[in-house]
Amino acid sequence: MTDYEIRVDGEPADPADGWRFEWTDERVGLARLVGPDGTRPLVVEGAGRDWVVTIGGRRIPVSVRTWRERVLAEAESATRGHAGPIDVKATLPGLVVAVAVSPGDDVEEGAPLLTIEAMKMQNEVRAPRAGRITEVVVAAGQTVSTGAALLRLA
Amino acid sequence: MRTDSAAPPFRRLLIANRGEIAIRVIRACRDLGISPIAVHSDADVDALHVHAADRSERIGPPSAGESYLSIPAVIDAARRSGAEAIHPGYGFLSENAAFARAVEQAGLVFVGPPPSALESLGNKLAARRSAAAAGVPIVPGTTVALEDDTAEAEAIGFPVMLKAAAGGGGRGMRRVDRAGDLAEALAAARREAASAFGDGTIYVEKLVAPARHVEVQLLGDRHGGLVVLGERDCSVQRRNQKLVEESPSPAVDAAIREALFDGARRVAGTVDFHNAATVEFLLDDAGSHFFLEMNTRLQVEHGVTELVTGLDLVAWQIRVAAGEALPAEVLAAPRVGHAIEVRLYAEDPFDAFRPTAGRVTAWRMPEGPGIRVDAGISAETDLPPEYDPLLAKVMVHAVDRATAIHRLRRALDETVIGGVQTDAAFLRWLVDDEAFAGGHYDTSLIAERWGSGPEPTAQERGLAAFAASAARQAAPPPSAPVVSSSTSPWGDLARRESLR
Repeated sequence: MTDYEIRVDGEPADPADGWRFEWTDERVGLARLVGPDGTRPLVVEGAGRDWVVTIGGRRIPVSVRTWRERVLAEAESATRGHAGPIDVKATLPGLVVAVAVSPGDDVEEGAPLLTIEAMKMQNEVRAPRAGRITEVVVAAGQTVSTGAALLRLA
Repeated sequence: MRTDSAAPPFRRLLIANRGEIAIRVIRACRDLGISPIAVHSDADVDALHVHAADRSERIGPPSAGESYLSIPAVIDAARRSGAEAIHPGYGFLSENAAFARAVEQAGLVFVGPPPSALESLGNKLAARRSAAAAGVPIVPGTTVALEDDTAEAEAIGFPVMLKAAAGGGGRGMRRVDRAGDLAEALAAARREAASAFGDGTIYVEKLVAPARHVEVQLLGDRHGGLVVLGERDCSVQRRNQKLVEESPSPAVDAAIREALFDGARRVAGTVDFHNAATVEFLLDDAGSHFFLEMNTRLQVEHGVTELVTGLDLVAWQIRVAAGEALPAEVLAAPRVGHAIEVRLYAEDPFDAFRPTAGRVTAWRMPEGPGIRVDAGISAETDLPPEYDPLLAKVMVHAVDRATAIHRLRRALDETVIGGVQTDAAFLRWLVDDEAFAGGHYDTSLIAERWGSGPEPTAQERGLAAFAASAARQAAPPPSAPVVSSSTSPWGDLARRESLR
């Protein structure tokens, strides 16, 4: 266990002691933890470094990295800048029903950018930070999938 | 379940719906000896309800407007399949008077109240006027459409609720706390109502807070027989939509119950009524009740009433639609014990209950004494983003409320869903919440007590860390790039990022 660096939701975490892990149905990720005073059913999805563990109904992202993977990842992130434009992406699939901004607009953090209708609900997409809209890549009436770029904020 | 040997009420019945409610109606058909016919859009070719029926008719592309909401497509499917009756389920066309009329004009039986009742109660403004005329208290507010000026809302006094005249399901509804917020909220409510119902008419009511949402189940036949089958408390809500329902209501005593039942009968008396319907009320902290609306259809939460009465409401809907009279044992059905329903939604309770989508991988539902599950999906199902994110309803029944809550705790501990975030974590929290356990909660419970939920406990983090590292160690060493074999959205994201 000490060979791995484990992060839960991005934060370093120590694995719990005194539990045994067993697959109930590995094909679909059903598993359980057996402890001295009981068992906890869970779902474990993923492979390699990236996992999602569903426990008590909550999906928790967990990264499990070897020392070598960690060094490589840190080197990679050091070469990638943190400033610069950001793409605002769809966090859910749906239909773009209204676009409130145009290229050149300056927006405050939290300003409504566009409205996506999904599962019969209207969801406002808001500016993650203040900035200037440099590009709008979707239009009202367009269907978008999760992760699709909507517009660019500089 | 039939105790007589009479012929089935219909030979074939078409279910104009999808998901768990389509499967629920299919089961009632099986119990009655009726051949159930499903319908499906292109997004639902492989859906569970399609496989559960004797056959299924394609009714159009994934968009609900061109499939499950298309009157000609549904009528055509019924004709093609030789169905004699149509059950609309809930949502979609279930309260659409034009649809009910079209069904009758096609020579088929509509399983629901008469079109005239759908029409007069479907408009919430008209229903408010009729209820008030019948002597049933309504929430203070307007009984005509709200114009753009704020005078009417100001006269009522903020905070107010904006509601859609054609509304339902919490859509087109907005709470407004200040006059300055009215214009924007009104525009948003109109847009949402116009998109959801094709009618942007909005009215305004005074906000009743704290309030409980309590509704009364009605069942009537075509011969004047009408029975009140108890109440359901639906106060656990997010976005003015129900998540948990129980019967009886812990907030209702004998006197309030009598008043609610009387109010429900009066509202039903304003129209030509038969079949199933629900009359919804708000209950303020003084125990006064105010009529909200009457839903002229089966409710999502009908199972709660079925558990305490032992009646099959869907089967009775079909039987009274075929002209049967309600027998004495239904008209005087006793109510036994306590039932609770929780709704499993593909929604993230840690992110304002936003709909999630994706593929359900693992799927294990609870079983055992006193537990009923009405599910619309099974393992390894893609959730189409076009439709309501309801996955399943878990219901428990026990001798009293405390025992029912114990049973619900076990049921939720047995429930395991993988692939998408659901509201199960919230539901499991709710069972242990003092206000819920004590029965002293109102419609603000989620906003006030849950918020965006607790952080994971140190134990949960430790268990998650242990489980993932154990799973990685147990896995064979990867022979390909490690992120590519994942079926989770995290894996997909990593894959997309690596392709940029």
